[in-house]
Amino acid sequence: MKTIAFAFTSMLLATSGVAQEKSLQQANDYYQKPLDELFSIETPVKAQVGSRTGAREALDSEVPIDVITAAQLESSGFTELSKALMKLIPGFNSPRPTGHDGTDHVPPFTLRGLNPDQVLVLVNGKRLHQSSLLNVNISVGRGTSGVDINTIPLRSIERIEVLRDGAAAQYGSDAIAGIINIILKGYGHDSLASVSYGRTTQGDGAVRQADVFYSLPLKNDGFINLTAEGRDRGRTNRAGPDSRLANAINHLIGETDAQDGQFAVNAEVPVDALIFYAHGLLDRRASSAGALYRLPTDVRNNPVLYPNGFLPMIEPKITDYSLGAGVRGVSADNVRWDLSLTHGSNDYHFYVSNTHNDSLGNSSPTSFDSGATAYTQSILNLDLVKKIGDLNLAGGAEIRHENYQISRGELASYVLGSASTIAGAQGFPGFMPENEVDASRGNKAMYVDARYDVSRALSVEGAARYENYSDFGSTVDKKMALAYRPHDDVLLRASASTGFRAPSLSQAYYTSTVSTLNSTDATFRQAGTFAVNHPVSVALGSQALRPEKSKHQTVGVVYQPTSDFSVSVDYFSADIADRIMLTGNIIDTVSPQVKAILKQYGVQSARYFTNAIATETQGLDIRLNYKHSFENHSRVKVVASYHRDNTAISAVYPLASILGNQTATAVLNDTTQSFIETAQPADGYKLWTQFEAGAWRSTLNLNRVGSYYYFNGSSFGAKLTTDLDVALQLSKTVEVALGGNNIFNVLPDKFPDSANLFVSGSGIIQYPPISPFGYNGAFYYVRLKVAL
Amino acid sequence: MTHKWFALAVVLVAQLVASPAQASQEENRLMAVFLGRFASYIELPDRASKHFVITLIDENPFGSLLDDLYAGKVIGGKPVVIRYATKVEDVGQSDMLFITLVNPRSRQEAIDYGARNSILTISTATGFAERGGIIQLDFVQQHTRIKINHAAAVKSNIRIGAPLLSLASVIRGDAQ
Repeated sequence: MKTIAFAFTSMLLATSGVAQEKSLQQANDYYQKPLDELFSIETPVKAQVGSRTGAREALDSEVPIDVITAAQLESSGFTELSKALMKLIPGFNSPRPTGHDGTDHVPPFTLRGLNPDQVLVLVNGKRLHQSSLLNVNISVGRGTSGVDINTIPLRSIERIEVLRDGAAAQYGSDAIAGIINIILKGYGHDSLASVSYGRTTQGDGAVRQADVFYSLPLKNDGFINLTAEGRDRGRTNRAGPDSRLANAINHLIGETDAQDGQFAVNAEVPVDALIFYAHGLLDRRASSAGALYRLPTDVRNNPVLYPNGFLPMIEPKITDYSLGAGVRGVSADNVRWDLSLTHGSNDYHFYVSNTHNDSLGNSSPTSFDSGATAYTQSILNLDLVKKIGDLNLAGGAEIRHENYQISRGELASYVLGSASTIAGAQGFPGFMPENEVDASRGNKAMYVDARYDVSRALSVEGAARYENYSDFGSTVDKKMALAYRPHDDVLLRASASTGFRAPSLSQAYYTSTVSTLNSTDATFRQAGTFAVNHPVSVALGSQALRPEKSKHQTVGVVYQPTSDFSVSVDYFSADIADRIMLTGNIIDTVSPQVKAILKQYGVQSARYFTNAIATETQGLDIRLNYKHSFENHSRVKVVASYHRDNTAISAVYPLASILGNQTATAVLNDTTQSFIETAQPADGYKLWTQFEAGAWRSTLNLNRVGSYYYFNGSSFGAKLTTDLDVALQLSKTVEVALGGNNIFNVLPDKFPDSANLFVSGSGIIQYPPISPFGYNGAFYYVRLKVAL
Repeated sequence: MTHKWFALAVVLVAQLVASPAQASQEENRLMAVFLGRFASYIELPDRASKHFVITLIDENPFGSLLDDLYAGKVIGGKPVVIRYATKVEDVGQSDMLFITLVNPRSRQEAIDYGARNSILTISTATGFAERGGIIQLDFVQQHTRIKINHAAAVKSNIRIGAPLLSLASVIRGDAQ
């Protein structure tokens, strides 16, 4: 053993000198190159995220970071950010939900198999607000409110940094699965415009998209960058036949019909020694998806209005915007400071059409305003950075205010009329006056982050953050990270941290009451989802929500023998306690006491959010980057990656004793357990290859997603999809591209055949809505890009 | 055997504390190379110095790379000397001044010093060229770009060759 250790130590010492010579040799090689060739050398991507002390090369970071460039985003062929990232980031999952009410229109995304609300999203380093939509149906991300990243025009993005580590000690709540930092285009980008058109090989899902990016240079390298984008995405439909109605295709099972109008601004205006900056995003979306078809004979149908039955359409209008503005400078004693104010808002307004309120009889309207959810967030932030010798010291303070609202729908959307006992608009009943919420909270935070370069080979980083929330109190989180370079080509890195996620206001206050059809006795029940502090919830034993608490460890190694080749391997673990989940429906048959409580409030079932379980997640990430320039100036780039994660429930917290034998099972059943443990692929790999020669540039992207398991024992096998994008530079200013996503038309496994009318391989919903690559099949597109 | 291990441990600790520059600092490597390469396209006023002096003011991002790279190299027929300064008063007579000062006022003082003494000033600071610096290096979309304040160069009696100007974004108006 001693001999091995001695040999290893000797080897490190010997190889270090060799590496110095190699680095110098590379600089000398550059020195001999023609000047124009030096300008064509591509430098490594840099990342700001992961340390508050400043940007550095991603591969030099103490923590694992992926950087996705604008060129990679464009070559994905997608016009929506969540779909593009699904193709480029291992461990990023964004299924295409269908039949899940509001969730269909804002598909949740996840990182490393965890929840959508456990990913912190930043724009230019500033926290982006979450959607006001609470996913309450059976989908990935059930019980969470995530960020709608599809509100950001792709053309406005310079790069995306993905931190694969917990970082609550630096950035605060939500940074459990990781951080996605979206950097908008800044100084030096050329103005351009593009149009694209594509559709599936089945002839639906047509996407028409146009965008303009315009950069106005200002004095002293200031700029105002404006991006406008319009996107019209047609629906897809993969519904199977309805055996109840002569095998008619009467459902819409597929992606929504959605129109997005988007605008982005990013500006920096230097004034003397200060830089004033601002960034803003605006998205207005109109979307349309179907609920379940009501047969002519359905008790919820009015044959006078719909003699052939009807398909209620859920058609929300979503307005999302954010605006950040600030000023930064350097003080006389070289303290870099940055003061900013960021405000974000999401308004999700539900409308339903092609429907009726059965209880209003023949005079019922057929379209309704079903009310809205809204969320706003305002943040005042001060960051300070000072370099003192080899110590990089950062600190700051933050004040945040959040507000969550539910607004009632129009009267006819929820009222119980006299024509029947079936109240409210079919498809999505309106929010009632008693559902209305206007809840706010504030929090204050302070943090310190110090990185000390012990030597050029060893750096140590420590961070701590104190937060105080007006609703649940205080947290203190800590992080330690180190990077050690025993050899110029090798970086060893490790980090350990604690984290938390504050319960979202939507989880604490969401309230909705609907009539549901009991399939066993064909009767209608009033079912409610209640705020944690609602009298029903309190009577049923709810307790104030506590923050989710996490512990993280990451260990990895980066091997980079040349600037053209690198490989990294990182292992991570994340233990999360007090995870917040929705209870199952607590029904009136549980006990006479529960029945009395429910009866008192006019419902037959109730559910609320609670700190329900603890989980343990472990995983592995492998990355390989390679690029090469040939003598004829053609170039090849390869990014290969592998991701694996496994989440297991380690504890289930019992509910209140009033629920009798439901205390352990009201939260966790086969369905909810599958969404925590198995409904997302356990592993996957990606192989992204780009080849440039002359005016041609081709990109081939292979994606394999591992198997996953739904509830009821349904399992879906691993699949490999292939994307191809071929671009031709017609002139200095014009580029045309032709491409395809999933060009071999791979589809997910179907559900097993069963007697279930809806969810079955031969039923109405044949493909799993949790399929990571959707179920549309092949999609082909053309794109024209013009430099302005 | 014990002595052997002790000696190795001492060497290893020394190695840890004084290890060479990181190999992956590609931008730094390119910047180090550009300093000398730019100089070959520049004509400075005649000076009595026997050396071509490159001075770096404030933080040194290169480690030992500048010293190693330019050891034995000759620019304009003169051997290169690398100097390090922390404040403008220490710059002295130089041919090239690479400015890493983060404080805008200090940076402006360095620019002005360079202009008064016919020194080629170079920096990556935002707005450097428009504020009177001569060559600004930027890294945009993973590539190097340069902005040259030709008017500032002329004012400092520095001539910049056409091949370099053809690769740059050039400011030809009034220099500060």
